[in-house]
Order: sequence, then structure tokens, then C-alpha cells
Amino acid sequence: MTNQLLDIQNLSKAFEDEHILTQTSFFLQESKTLSILGKSGSGKTTLLKIIAGLEKQDNGTILLENNDITTLSAHKRNIVYLYQDALLFPHLNVFENIAFGLKLRKINAQEVKNRVTKMLYDLELQKHIHKMPTQLSGGQRQRVSFGRALIIQPKILLLDEPFGALDVDTRKQMQRLCKETLKQYKITTLFVTHDLKEALIMGDQIGKMQSGVLKTFKNKEEFLNDPSTGIKEEIEFWKNIHANEE
Amino acid sequence: MIRKALIPVFMLMVTFPIALLLLLSFGKSWVYPNIFPDQFTLQHWNDIYQINSELLMVTLKSIGISLGVSSVVTLLSFFSSKHISYSVYKSRWLFLAYIPYVFSPVILAATLQFYFTFVDVSGTFFGVILAQLFITYPFGVLIFSNFWNPRIKAIAELSNTLGGNSWITFYKVVLPLSKGVLLLCFFQVFLISWFEYGLTALIGVGKIKTLTLSVFQYIQEANIFLAALASCLLIIPPMILLYLNKRFIFTNQQTI
Amino acid sequence: MNANHFNILSNKIVFLMLTILPVGGGFVYAFLYSIGTIGILNNGFTLSHWVNVLTDTSFWFSLGYSFYIAIVSVSISILLALTIVLFWKKSLVSNNSIVSYLLYIPLCFPAIVVALFSFQVWSKSGLISRIVSHLGILTEITSFPDLTNDTYGFSILYSCILMITPFFAILFSNLYKQEQIDHLKNIAMSLGATKTQALFKIVLPVILKKAKITISLFIVFVMSSYEIPLLLGRQNPQMISVLAIQKLQRFNLNDIPQAYAIACLYMIFIGLILYFLFFSKSSTQLSVSPLKRNFDD
Repeated sequence: MTNQLLDIQNLSKAFEDEHILTQTSFFLQESKTLSILGKSGSGKTTLLKIIAGLEKQDNGTILLENNDITTLSAHKRNIVYLYQDALLFPHLNVFENIAFGLKLRKINAQEVKNRVTKMLYDLELQKHIHKMPTQLSGGQRQRVSFGRALIIQPKILLLDEPFGALDVDTRKQMQRLCKETLKQYKITTLFVTHDLKEALIMGDQIGKMQSGVLKTFKNKEEFLNDPSTGIKEEIEFWKNIHANEE
Repeated sequence: MIRKALIPVFMLMVTFPIALLLLLSFGKSWVYPNIFPDQFTLQHWNDIYQINSELLMVTLKSIGISLGVSSVVTLLSFFSSKHISYSVYKSRWLFLAYIPYVFSPVILAATLQFYFTFVDVSGTFFGVILAQLFITYPFGVLIFSNFWNPRIKAIAELSNTLGGNSWITFYKVVLPLSKGVLLLCFFQVFLISWFEYGLTALIGVGKIKTLTLSVFQYIQEANIFLAALASCLLIIPPMILLYLNKRFIFTNQQTI
Repeated sequence: MNANHFNILSNKIVFLMLTILPVGGGFVYAFLYSIGTIGILNNGFTLSHWVNVLTDTSFWFSLGYSFYIAIVSVSISILLALTIVLFWKKSLVSNNSIVSYLLYIPLCFPAIVVALFSFQVWSKSGLISRIVSHLGILTEITSFPDLTNDTYGFSILYSCILMITPFFAILFSNLYKQEQIDHLKNIAMSLGATKTQALFKIVLPVILKKAKITISLFIVFVMSSYEIPLLLGRQNPQMISVLAIQKLQRFNLNDIPQAYAIACLYMIFIGLILYFLFFSKSSTQLSVSPLKRNFDD
């Protein structure tokens, strides 16, 4: 049994009268990825922003390595939140973007250089080291954004539809690269997507979010058998595609 | 090409006012119906360089007021605009900023004269700067309201989650990204202040004289040569700013 | 209260103190003065000054005259600016062409300088009059028509047009790029539109609709203008800012409350126009658009 790194207890959030999150509880295991499947408006972005410390919950507790971080400010949590917009700092080039977090931690220049170079290599970005964000393609930008987060070895990485804006091929490539790198750097990840297949590919464990309520599944079997995920229908459709035509 | 051919005509039309004012600033007498002044002199221009020259003092004072106003407005409105743009009621706040921005500065000054006299700042340097703040600060807030958009907010938040505290995030991320709009605001506010006449005249009650007031005074004294000279002095700084950076300064100037 | 809340609150207080306090304070003072509650000659509460202003034709004439000057000068400026932009659009698209630089030069002229220039050109002893005289068309200076301080505000219109046209030209050429008008025009033409149809059904409507709020604001700006009508206008009719200030500075102290009543009316007028621009259904989306072009290109 791996360690419970993050423990979310009874998180609730409402804007005016609308309940965004209702009594959400779950935990994350160290170095594992939890995929959360959810449509837009299901409350997943709010959940991630609360965990990152960018928004305040109304109720509930967040424990990181058994320490209560519920009221800790974002910059002290070491939890990074990324979404489909790569949000590269437009005034910095690729190297400087990735080095940003390391420089904040006052790591010496040589070390910064070594680690950034290694990261660029792992993410297949060596050729673009001096480029500015506007000179990169969508997939490249997303990789830089990813590297900028990984390099500070965050306790937790929160990914909110990170590949949503990419075309099909780039998306596939990124899923592979992302999964490999997360393993390699042993990063605990919460991966939110509305794409069934992507949730299955990326997650060691899977959950589903609907109208502010999160349900986590014990294993992939349970997930596959749950009627509410729509997986059964999907499988039936592809199985019967010829039968349907006839 | 007719388009190319018409460019010199257009150039002539645009530069004609400058040429006429420059010509008049060297004039000494201009008897009707002569098309050009019949006597020229360098004296008006030479007089500016005298240590005690009134026009020199007025010019320096005008520069002082405009620099003061633009620095204060840029600094204050940058931060106010952030909180207003991120407020739930953004459009209501901006509506409030539009009122003084659109309103006639001279009528505003007329309704405020009493207060300025009451706290004893009318006719002072400080009073004029304060009054000009009332018309330029809302403008600054409006300029910055487009800078403080959801994207900048998200970038700042990202810097936060990467470990930057609010000061570092501001200094390393937000400030470098805002250089352009800060310059834009500074220059535009400088120009509004530099061009301002009615409000300055009322609040300055004749004691604070800026270049625009001098132009008006020379016109009233029927001294068109000195009026033209003062006009040239008014036009020169904006032209230099224009030459230095067209993009930032005028891209969206709105005031008249 | 934590530091962040304190920060937000203090910034909003600064905002209110520099925007609403002066406007509100000015309005209260002007209103109290106009109803005789305060002021040098105050004899206690009276509505007579308001009645005087509202029944006297000079206020309504002045408002109408200001509106006339604004509408005419803005309309002509729009036509000129559109002509410039459509004629030189290729040069304007590249931001460093001569035309694009030339367009910025008139923006360096403050209103008072433009007024001085207009006077030197159009007055009876001005440049045009001298040239006409040299050509032998004019024998006496007095026979040159009144083009300054005249009834129709010829030189006021001329000055306003000189000041506004470059603004509009810059705005329109930015919109032309931003809205990808060339692409839209091509689509329209591939759908069968002639050049003229594309111009009147696509190019002009798209530009003018986008610029609607800015154009409205300019009408208000021109209506409020002071220096130009002060130098080039005549005693009657006067533009609204000039009327209010002259009433305020006249020797007849009875005029002062009327000046303040006019100021109040003008404030209400501006408030209503802005309210309409801001909160009417069709324009909420555009509420902050006039300034949007600054730095995002």
C-alpha cells in the first residue's frame, strides 16, 4: 500500500446560491495519477483551484502529508495548477520559463542550467531553448509549461484538461510523453479530462465528477462497469458497428 | 499611381499648420494683405533662452505639472484598476470612471472651485495637479482595465503556484508584462495634462500659468507672434514623444 | 481583516475619492447654489433660477447648437477618416509608412493651438483672405465673409474636424486590421457581391458598428469642448461649456446660480447618455471597448 499524500475531507463550495462542490472527499496516493472524468461545469476546475490555494473553500480540510494546508497561501503549497492555456511568461524565453521556479528557490546558476537542460532533453525541446513563446507550436508550448512545473518537483501536479486545445495527433503524443515523464519524476498528479479514453490512459486510478459530487472507483473494472460513465454504451457501439449497418 | 501621388498633398495639408505657426513665431509685423510677414526676427526665440524669460519659466512649470500628474496617475490608477477589473461589479465601477472622463473639465472645475478655495489650494501648484488628477485618474483606470484581464490573472496565479509570493510575482511577472501599458498611460496622461486649458485656468486663478494659458493670454493681447511661439513650444514635446514612440503614445488617444 | 482585503478596500476608496467624490461634490455644490441654499446672494430656497434656465431660450439654443456642432463635425470627420483609410489602407497596414506617421502629427496639436491656427487661416485678416485679395477677387477686407465667430460655426467645425479626423482614421485602420475586413470582403465577393455591395454591406457596417461607442463618446466630447468655441465662437448662440463659464464670470451675480443650474443639467445629461451607452442591452458587450485597441496589437 502506497502512502496517502493528499487527503481531501468534505470540501464544499458555493457561489451565491449555486453549489459548485458538495462534501467532496478523496485521497491521492504518492507518485500515482488520479484521473477525474467530468464535463465542463461539473465543478472540477473549482476543486483544483481550491487544492492549489487559488480559491477558498467554504468548508472542508485539505491535508498534505498529514499537515493541514487548508489556509496556507498558494505560493507555499508546492502544488502546481496547469490548464489548457500554456500561459508561458511572454517576456521570457523557453529556458527562462522553465528555470523560473528554480530561480525563485535561489538555486545556483550552474545547477539551474543542468536541470533545465535535462528537462529540455526529457521533453524533446532541446532545439527550442532560446525561442520565445510566440515562436512555438501549441504542443511545444504545452511541453514547456509542463516542464516549468515538473522541474520544481511539486508535491502535486494539478492538470485541468491540459491537452484540450491540441489536435488529435499532438494530443496522443503529449499523453505518452506526459505519462512517461510523470513516472520518471515520480510526480503525484490529479488529471482532469472530459475524454473517456484519456482518463483511462492517464490514470492509475479513476474518478468521476458530476454536479459537484466526486465518485472515485476502486479500480478500472469498477469504473468500466459503472453505467453512469457511458463506457458500456461506447463499447457496445463499436462492437455492433457492423451489425448496425446491416 | 494616384495613391502615391496624393501622399505629398496629404503631407502638405498635415504639416501646413506647423509651418504657419513656425513662420509666425519668427514674424514681427504682418500687414494686410501681405501673404507672408513683412518683417522677421529671431528675438522671440532668443528671449526664451534668457534666464529670467517668462516663457521659459512657464514651460518648465508646465513640464513639472504634467510630469507630476502623469507619474501620480500612472502609479495610482495601475493598482486601483486591478482591483476594479477583478471585481464582480467591474462594469459598474468602470461606469463611474467614465463620468469624469467624459464630462467637460471646465464645468467640473467650476463646480469644484469653492472647495478648492475653502481648503486654500486654488491658485497653487498642488491645487492644479489635484484638479488635473480628477480628470486623468479615471482615464488611467480605463486604460489599465484592459490590461488586468483574466489571462494576466491566470499568469500571476501560475507564478504563485510555482512558488512566487505576491511581491516576486508582481516584480518578476506582472511588472515586465505591463511595461507597455504603463508607458502608454504615462504618455497619454502627460499629454492630457499638457493640453489642458479650462480647468487649469479656473483652479489656477491666474496664479498658475501654463503654456496653454500663455497662448490664450497672447491671443487676448493680440500678439499673434508670441502666441505662435508659445504654440510651437506646446507642440514640440508631443512631437518628440511621437518620434520616440508612436505606438505607445497615440494608439488610442481619445480626448479633445 | 487581512492584508489583501485591506489592499482592495484602500484601492477602492482611492478610486471613489478621485472619481465620485469630485463629481458628486461638484454636483451637490452646484445644485445647492442653483436652488439658492448657498452662495453670495442667497435668499433661501428658490426654484426661480431653474425656471429661468429651463424657460429661457439661451440654454436650449446652446444645447442644440453644441449638438449641431458635434453631429456635423463628427459626421464629416467619419467620412474623411473612412476615405483616408480605404484609400491608403495598404500603407496604413504597415505601421511605419509615411501616411501612418502623417496621420499622427495632428494629434500633437492641443485644442487651443488648433483654434489659433484656424483663426489665422479663416479670419477676415487671415491667410485665405490675404490670398484671395492678392488674386484680385477681393477689394476690401470687409467684403471677406465671416468665417470666424460666425453663426454657423464654420471655423469651429473646421477646427473640430481637424482634431477628430486623425483619431477616427487611426481607430478605423486598427479596426480594419483587427476585424480582418479584407477577408470578410473577399468572402462577400466570392458569394457574388460587387465591390460597391461589399463596401456598403460589409466593410462600412462592420467598422461603424465596432466604433459605435467611440463615436458616441466623441459626440459628447465635442459637445463639451471649450477652448475652440471660446476663441472662434460668437456671443449667441454659445456652446454649452462657454455659456456656463461666461454666466459664472459675469458681473451680474444673479447669473451665477443659473450657471450652476446649467452645470447640473449638463451633468445629468452626460450621466444619462453614459448610462444608455453602458447598460442598454445592445451595448453591454462593448462597454469598455473604446480603449481596447491600445496594446493588444
